This record gives sequence, structure tokens and C-alpha cells, in this order.
Amino acid sequence: MSGLLQTQFLASNSSRTRFLTSVTQLDVASVMCPAGCSHVNGFKVDNWKQNLRVIYQCFVWSGTAETRRRKAKSCMCHMCGAHLNRLHSCLYCVFFGCFSKKHIHEHAKNKRHNLAIDLLYGGIYCFACQDYIYDKDMEQIAKEEQRKAWKLQGAGEKFSTWEPTKRELELLRHNPKRRRITTNCTIGLRGLINLGNTCFMNCIVQALTHTPLLRDFFLSDRHKCEMQSNSCLVCEMSQLFQEFYSGHRSPHIPFRLLHLVWTHARHLAGYEQQDAHEFLIAALDVLHRHCKGDDNGKKANNPNHCNCIIDQIFTGGLQSDVTCQVCHGVSTTIDPFWDISLDLPGSSMPFWPLSPGGDSTVVNGEGHMTGSTTLTDCLRRFTRPEHLGSSAKIKCGGCHSYQESTKQLTMKKLPIVACFHLKHLEQSVWLKGALVDDRRGEPAACSSTSEELLKLLTSGSASACHEQSSSSTVLDFWTSQTMRFEHSAKLRRKITTYVSFPLELDMTPFMASSKESRVNGQYQQSVDVLNNDNKYSLFAVVNHQGTLESGHYTSFIRQHKDQWFKCDDAIITKASIKDVLDSEG
Amino acid sequence: MNKELQMRATINQKLIEMGERERLKELLRAKLIECGWRDQLKAHCKEVIKEKGIENVTVEDLVAGVTPKGRALVPDSVKKELLQRIRAFLAQHST
Repeated sequence: MSGLLQTQFLASNSSRTRFLTSVTQLDVASVMCPAGCSHVNGFKVDNWKQNLRVIYQCFVWSGTAETRRRKAKSCMCHMCGAHLNRLHSCLYCVFFGCFSKKHIHEHAKNKRHNLAIDLLYGGIYCFACQDYIYDKDMEQIAKEEQRKAWKLQGAGEKFSTWEPTKRELELLRHNPKRRRITTNCTIGLRGLINLGNTCFMNCIVQALTHTPLLRDFFLSDRHKCEMQSNSCLVCEMSQLFQEFYSGHRSPHIPFRLLHLVWTHARHLAGYEQQDAHEFLIAALDVLHRHCKGDDNGKKANNPNHCNCIIDQIFTGGLQSDVTCQVCHGVSTTIDPFWDISLDLPGSSMPFWPLSPGGDSTVVNGEGHMTGSTTLTDCLRRFTRPEHLGSSAKIKCGGCHSYQESTKQLTMKKLPIVACFHLKHLEQSVWLKGALVDDRRGEPAACSSTSEELLKLLTSGSASACHEQSSSSTVLDFWTSQTMRFEHSAKLRRKITTYVSFPLELDMTPFMASSKESRVNGQYQQSVDVLNNDNKYSLFAVVNHQGTLESGHYTSFIRQHKDQWFKCDDAIITKASIKDVLDSEG
Repeated sequence: MNKELQMRATINQKLIEMGERERLKELLRAKLIECGWRDQLKAHCKEVIKEKGIENVTVEDLVAGVTPKGRALVPDSVKKELLQRIRAFLAQHST
């Protein structure tokens, strides 16, 4: 019996007294007014449900323009005309009255209509009981109508406090052990054994398990597997999260994960050192493919609009504008992306693309770095209009002929988690093709590149440049912190050595919309400080040390907002923010 | 009803009709959470409940006990910003 009371108590909460669930213990017998009161029974006759719904739709949570108009016109006290003072509506007849001025109380007494509804919050007041009451059926209707109105307003799903179901209450009672998350607890941190040059995988796994949205998805069991065999990578990720949050402190051995990766991404199989960036992309791809069961089925057939958790978190849109130099017609394409690969100064690629009369300071690997480069510099370079030379004329739809053009990349849609890939090393193709040609064997030209490579090479000799056979990458993860479901993200930039990155990053200058407003002459001087939509917070950095032949990946990940940890395979150590920022990224 | 109340009512109607009232409410909610106002009030509510005893407290008690403090604790910056928003809205939609 008491169990039943508890459920009802928890299930029926008006917004005003919602906080009481945190005050009372789950196992304390309910002491608030029992669900509803006997007086509502007089109301619950005939078509009362529909009538109540209409009241909610019209006067409390008006979703449509029509209902809003009606609300605006009619919601005022019938006695004094005010629209403030906690206006209530009588449930038995059409009467609006102030609560604070007791106008509704008078009405209730005179007409013996003892139920009224609060037009601000939707609570039901019983004059006989002299308090707000929480009738289960009425609360249900209230919640539904509120959700409907939110949807109509385009607000989507808003935050509402968690109310356990009967089943959940049962589970909670049977498993009384609780884990407390304090600021110092290290739940969620666990080392990973290196299974033979698998540090590249370990680092990415650490970063993924500390991606808050991904973690929340898996810990709330949102994956519904549709794969018959045991080879679903998403299921394995789910298991992985369970392992990480189990509280065990011994390092985890991810042999099943490794096997699945080998099965699904054959190009990563084998025991030699792989590229962490490649692994990330391959892993996201496989997870995305295996997530088929999780989207709502609506957009399952459209590859560009997948609704799986991977796409929701990681996919952004990169806008590419090609402008014809003759007719100035712009041809725009938008491509989805999971990461942003940035070239670095000192690479063989010209750091600043040569435009006519360009002011490039780094040309063909012979650059001088004036001060250290920042991540923003790299991004600026990435989104700069690039003049495609006369050898790369594009067929212009406006001029109907081949013309010279400029191309510019900007961010159309930002992903929730942005992965930046700093190309510290280049593919051998580029290195050999560009460097050798331009350098003509001169070691001087190579030195600036090797400066960059020195961090990664144990021997900084020019000849070592030639021997690069794969690229080493560095990945920075940023996440926008969403406060509940409202959009409010904080960006952080991190700057590694040589490319310094910050803890907070604002992507607004690189957005397609910013570019457009600049072009239109409206340069926004005052950046809306309150608009946090384009800001990112750093939460993971993957570093590579050593040479390509014998190198090692480690990562820094953020726990609890300000605590950073270094993950070196099975060894997790506390790290300072300085360590993180000084790392090469 | 005097002129000021009349004007208030008209403004309110306009805000509701255009859906701006809801948007402002959301903005206000976010701002008040950000600046910690909600947590302060939550703590105060708990105090009121402790005083009155959980068996006896009514919504009225809470409203009476919390409203004055709540009004006083709203930061000026938040008030300013909302005012600005409303002004901008009215300027945009003046008949």
C-alpha cells in the first residue's frame, strides 16, 4: 500500500513543488496530500478530460497562433481586469480571477465551484482542501498538453525532472547500493592494456568514453541491437562503457573490441602501429553503420540524414563555395564531415594559399614562423578564399565556360563534438612530391620542416625527412556543453606547442553565416556574448611521441570539468592543465 | 483601469500573441539558472519547509515566504537584459 502511495506521490508533482522529491527520501512514506482529493470527483464527469485539455491548450500552454490570440484577449480577471496576480481559471465555468487578490476565492465561495487552475503553471487548486492537489489523471493530461505546446513552438523536448516508473522503483529497492559522484571520484577512468601497438586504439577509446553525450547514450541503454551475430560494434561499445564505469581499477583488456575492429575495418588489422586519426574515422564509420536500429526509422533510408547517435554528435556540415571570377556566380555544396584536418605551418603545402598579390609568409616549406601559430591561425587558413589557379578552371554555370575561380570553405553546421586533426606529418606522397621538387635536395629548405618533425623524429637529420612513410596525427576534441537540452555551448581552444590551442574555442568567425554577413557589409562589431552556440570546450587531446617506426600514442582527457588525466595505455595519471596545453596536440 | 494598466495589458497581449512571452520566459529561465538564482531560491524553499514542517506546509506558505526574497535576488543585469529585449520587440512591432 505504501508502495502505491509513493509511486503516485512521485508521479504527480506540480512544477512548484517538484523539488520536494529531492527533499524526501524515496523510502519515506508519502506525507504530502494524497493523490488528488475527493473533491475532484465532482468534476470528473461527462467529457471532463476533453474539457480540461481545451482549458490547457487555450489558456495555459497555448501552442498555436489561434490559441495564443484567444489567450491574449481573454485572460484577465473578471473582477479587476488585471492579467497578473496569479490568474486562475475556474474549472466549472468561464471565470478568470486573481489569486493574490482573492477574486477567484470569492467566486469559488459564491458559486461553490471549488476547483480552479493556475494559468501560469497549470496546477489545480482545490478550495475545499485549500491547497494545490495532484490528481494522477489530471497531471497526466497536463503533461501531455505541455509537451504538445512545446512541440508546436518548436522547442522540442524540454528538460523535466526524472520520475521513476514502477519498474524502476522496484529495481532501485532491490539494489540498494548507490554510487556517489563526488568531485574527486574517478569513476569512468580505467586503463587499457596495450595488446601490441594498440595505443592508437586505446587513446581514441579513452576520448570516446569521455565524450559526455556518448557516455550518456550508452549508460542509459539506448542502443537497440538489430544485428543477429555478436559482431555489433555498438554493443561492444556499450559493454566497454559498462567496464569503464564498473568501478574496477584494474586496466581493462579490450580484446573483443580489437577483434571487432579488425573484422570490420580490415585496413586497420595487424600488429603494426596504426594511425589514431584513421582509427577514429573507421570506428565512427562502423558505429554509424551498426547503429541502424537506433534512429526512429523515419530517416533510415537517407544516408545524409541519419539520426544515429554518431551523426547527432559528430557530424558537421562543411560548405564549399566556388566563386567564378568573371560573373561572380557562386556554386555551393555542403558536405558532411566528422573531423577537420588542418595543415600546419612549415609543411610542404604552402601555408597561406597563394592568391594574386597574396601576403603569404610561408611558401613551399621555407617558412619563418613569426611567433607560435595558434589553432585559429590554422582555421583561418582553412577557411580562407583560395584562388584556384589557371590550371584548374571550373566550368561556370553562369558564364557557361571555363573560368578561373576562388574556392572557400566555411562551416555550415557545427557538430556537437568537433575533432581537429593537426597534420603534424604528411603523407609520403606529398613529402616526396613537393619537398623533393622544391627543395632540389637542399637541406636548408628541409630544416624548417624538420623543425616541425623534430618533435616526432628522434633524429632531426634531413634524410629522416625523406623516410616518413605515414602520417602522424594529433587530434583535439572539443565538445559543446549543452545545458540540459538548451543550446548553450562553451568553446575552448587548446594550443599545442608550435600550434597552440586554447581551452575554449569560438567557431563563429569560421561559420558560413559570419562570412555572409561580412560580405554583405554588416560586420557585427558586438559579438553577442550571450550566444554560446558556436563555442567549444576542450575535453580530449591525443598526442603522438617518437618516430613513426617506433612511436607511442597517449592522450589527455578531461573529467569533471577541470580535472585532467593522462592516459598512457594501462597507466592513468593526474595531469595539470598546463601539461595538456603544452603538449603538442 | 488607468492608462498604465491599460498599456501593460496591451503589451502583454502583444507578447502572448506573437509567442514572444514564451521565448522571454525561456530566456529568463536560462539566465536565472546560470547566475545561480534558482539554486539560491531552492535552498530558501527548503528552509521554509523545515520551519513549517513538511506535514503542514502549503503552497501558500512557500509563495509568501519565497516571493519577496526571489524578487530581491534577481540580478540587475538580468532585469536589464529582459527589459532590452522587450523594448526591442515593441519597437519592432509597434503599430
